[in-house]
Amino acid sequence: MEVFLDYALTTSKFAVIILSILILARCLRSMLSEKYESEVWGHLGCEGDSYTLTHWENLIGRSISSDVRLCYPGVSRCHAVLSRNDRGIWKIYDIFSRSGVWVNGVKVGGSGSQVVAGDVINLGGLTLKFYDMSAADQARNEAGRTSAGQHVSPTITLLELSLFQLALLCQHAMSAEAEHIRSIALAFVALMALQWCCYSAMRLMNRSGFEVETLAFYLTSLGMSVAASSTPEDMYRQILLTLAAVALFLFSGWWMRNLRRTMALRIPVAVLALALMAVNVLASDAVLGARNWLEFGGYSFQPSEIVKACYIYVGASTLERLFFRRNLYGFIAFSALCVVALALIGDFGTALIFFITFLIISYMRSGSLGTVFLAVSAAALAGFLAVTVKPYIAQRFATWGHAWEDVYGAGFQQTRAMSAAASGGLTGKGAGFGWLDDIFAANTDMVFAVICEELGLIIGLCMVAAVLVMAFFAVRSARRGRSAYYPIAACAAMALLLSQMALNVFGSLDLLPFTGVTFPFVSRGGSSLISCWLLMAFIKSADNRQGASFAVRPARSSGYDEGQEEEEEEAEEYINIAEGNPFIEPWQEENYEKDN
Amino acid sequence: MRKITNRAFSLLLIAALVICGMGLYLMEYVDRGQDWALYFSRVNSGSSGLLLDRNGQMLASFGQSREEFSPDAHVRTANYHVTGDYWGRTGAGVLSRYWSGMQGFSIFTGTTKSEDSVLTLSIDSRLNEYIYDQLMALGEDTKGMMLLSNYKTGEILGLVSVPSTDPLDTEAELKDGTYINRCLSASFTPGSVFKLITAAAAIEQIDDINETEFYCEGEYEIAGVPIICTGSHYTQTFEQALSNSCNVAFAQIAVELGQNTMVDYVREYGFLDSHQLNGINTAAGSYPTEFVGDPELGWSGIGQSTDMICPYSMLCFLCAVANGGELIEPSLVLEDGEPESSRLMEAATANQLKQMMNYNVVDHYNGEENFPGLKLCAKTGTAELGDGSSHAWFVGFLADEEHPFAFVTLVERGGYGLSTSGPIANNVLQWAVENIKVDKQ
Repeated sequence: MEVFLDYALTTSKFAVIILSILILARCLRSMLSEKYESEVWGHLGCEGDSYTLTHWENLIGRSISSDVRLCYPGVSRCHAVLSRNDRGIWKIYDIFSRSGVWVNGVKVGGSGSQVVAGDVINLGGLTLKFYDMSAADQARNEAGRTSAGQHVSPTITLLELSLFQLALLCQHAMSAEAEHIRSIALAFVALMALQWCCYSAMRLMNRSGFEVETLAFYLTSLGMSVAASSTPEDMYRQILLTLAAVALFLFSGWWMRNLRRTMALRIPVAVLALALMAVNVLASDAVLGARNWLEFGGYSFQPSEIVKACYIYVGASTLERLFFRRNLYGFIAFSALCVVALALIGDFGTALIFFITFLIISYMRSGSLGTVFLAVSAAALAGFLAVTVKPYIAQRFATWGHAWEDVYGAGFQQTRAMSAAASGGLTGKGAGFGWLDDIFAANTDMVFAVICEELGLIIGLCMVAAVLVMAFFAVRSARRGRSAYYPIAACAAMALLLSQMALNVFGSLDLLPFTGVTFPFVSRGGSSLISCWLLMAFIKSADNRQGASFAVRPARSSGYDEGQEEEEEEAEEYINIAEGNPFIEPWQEENYEKDN
Repeated sequence: MRKITNRAFSLLLIAALVICGMGLYLMEYVDRGQDWALYFSRVNSGSSGLLLDRNGQMLASFGQSREEFSPDAHVRTANYHVTGDYWGRTGAGVLSRYWSGMQGFSIFTGTTKSEDSVLTLSIDSRLNEYIYDQLMALGEDTKGMMLLSNYKTGEILGLVSVPSTDPLDTEAELKDGTYINRCLSASFTPGSVFKLITAAAAIEQIDDINETEFYCEGEYEIAGVPIICTGSHYTQTFEQALSNSCNVAFAQIAVELGQNTMVDYVREYGFLDSHQLNGINTAAGSYPTEFVGDPELGWSGIGQSTDMICPYSMLCFLCAVANGGELIEPSLVLEDGEPESSRLMEAATANQLKQMMNYNVVDHYNGEENFPGLKLCAKTGTAELGDGSSHAWFVGFLADEEHPFAFVTLVERGGYGLSTSGPIANNVLQWAVENIKVDKQ
């Protein structure tokens, strides 16, 4: 019997590793292998030349990074932004050019002015004629857009993920105490059911891009495994949290498919974020150094996790707004308030994550390295003050790199994490067979080591790689971005997740000071899981491959998709009544009218 | 939009840093993973083991999740500096050094569950208990050490350092320096025991040393600086000078040999370097190697000046003298096979020194009364610390094939070597001769 169990354990260990690598490789290939064809959304005619508008938001100017580059002396480096909304309406904005912009002889004011096909635009002594896209352009867009999941079948990837989860479950069945096996099995089965439901719903909606979800579910499975080894008595709660997180992910993804309502809600979201932080600062008691928990009827909740998603929601912006300094200052003030609140709470790890995210957002918005340097030096000063004022932070810095010199004091957690992680070797001791998860906060702050100990270094590297793959994907989808909002949001979300991961992993391995932040998806903790899934919605909405995302509607001859969730249907009806049908691409409008 | 697209690449910078960090971790893992994993090996590997003394007495054991030592607190305390503890508080214990060797680890498989392992030490835990009691009889706050080994086999039989503690009593109030292993990890001013080294050098380097007469009237000036002696010894031979422990004579010898020769001998006898005892690093000693004038050289020849020696180095030196110049490498672990050996000095030198040390005991230490029945060769040391106190040394060996024991006894700030450490050495040797069976070679 024992020999049989040994074989089963060894087999499932290798299965977990091979499946992990397969899943990652398939997602990577699927996400990065597809060729990018630029789309055509309109044209600008100018003295015999024709410029193609390849995005929804186009910068016109003399600068080399302009989308429409006009090398004429009268044109400013960044002169105007020509942008299209999801209803197919084009507007032009003058972004503080020296010589101004005129449409049909009328000067464009601060709020921009609408342009329609055939309009004449004057800027910097040039006369441009605007053409909306033609039927041929539309056909070309259709043909050029590669469909997500075309090269690599998402069904097979998801099957592999399910096998991976079964193999994990198999190991837990061997290691867990009898009384917990039922709830652990239920948790894994529920997770599998959830991912297949999501996938089926997506397929029903004719969407085939599922890589982001697959990676997120992959990491969530690892989180489930950590929960099963460390707190098996709490599995039901973990299931409910995962359900809630995925539901919120779907909702916020659906919400962001409409850029107008997304932009309109930024101020309320900013207010909500600040209110959450304020409540946190005022109401919470000191828990273990950092006061970042709120208690609600026995359940603790971490407002700063939700604020992460809000922060990016508020921080990203559309192209025409980027050139107004006022908007950037507003964002800087908002960021400063968030970081100060986190510092007051004592959560310097999260404050640092916010700051790195801030750097990425502000660089993407302003493109100015000067701003970034200024911000970094200000933060260095603030950090210095923090170290001098808060002795426990200075202590963490003093321990950094010297964990092994104080194994029973300041280096207690790091040395145990490093020892346990190394003891797992490449293949690990088996899920649930480790000892590190008995150490306090191991399932959050030292989760990389728990995974390395139980599942091996290869899985540890895979889980880091999964987050990296998402980051590469965010960078790559920026090229396809129609509006600047989505790439900025996606890159900021990935900057946040990457820096959070780096602080978690390297903090527990004594390569960075130990800050006690969570590993995305894997660390135990409800607020953290929900926040990570919310951030996934940003990645998802930046992905505008054919049929990839719920943020961009698939091209269908009939404009309306019947097989959708009820909730969505209701909402769309409401909008249809209010504003016509905003979800129908302009080139579909003809068909739509014909069909009806 | 192209602007935004270009700026998105800034995210790759963070990704690159993460990848570099992981690379750094992998390098560290390959390099130090074994040390990390084995540090908490008893929990990491899940195997169990036993640490026994030479008589099979259990000193420590480890199992799946809890650590154990001998059930007797006195055994635990007396042997604390031999075993060390599982937490690595004292660096020179066997546990911190040896447990890892008893576990399997590779960077591919991690720690592996090894066969239940047994490590048998050469230590006699009863002897350690006896030594511990002898040292503690001097008073609660005694600081000191005693090492006792078999110079024929290299086996270390006794190793005690005080103050000590019970490794299981985590609440115990610790005296200063409890975690220091005074036998292996510390060095002390040697005082007169250093004269053995000066004498050995003189035997080899000064042809007519045995015919030379030394004159001492309690004080002697070198270049205007006085060397003070413990008394006035008047005319004496080389042999008498050692048994008188005459500062004047040995300062003169050191000056005659010259600093270079002195440094060469101190180095050759291993007093300057750190050694390894079963992989445990021992403390290095010191001796003035940069040029000093004759007065300082004189003082250094009698074990004062900046001289420092580690008791373990002294034990090695004594073993070599006792064993005809050949040092059998000391070991804490009972191992099969021929122990390693090396020649530290010529047999003639060793034999003359041996005779002189025996003469010390017979002629000067009132051997028959103080060390009855022992064929003892020894040297006392009373190392002045400049504040009126002195370390009490008593070192030597038995010129006895049946009981080939070498020993180093030291009581820190214990006063006179002969009166403080001599009785301890005598009692311990008497006990050892009676109770320790020595296998015939």
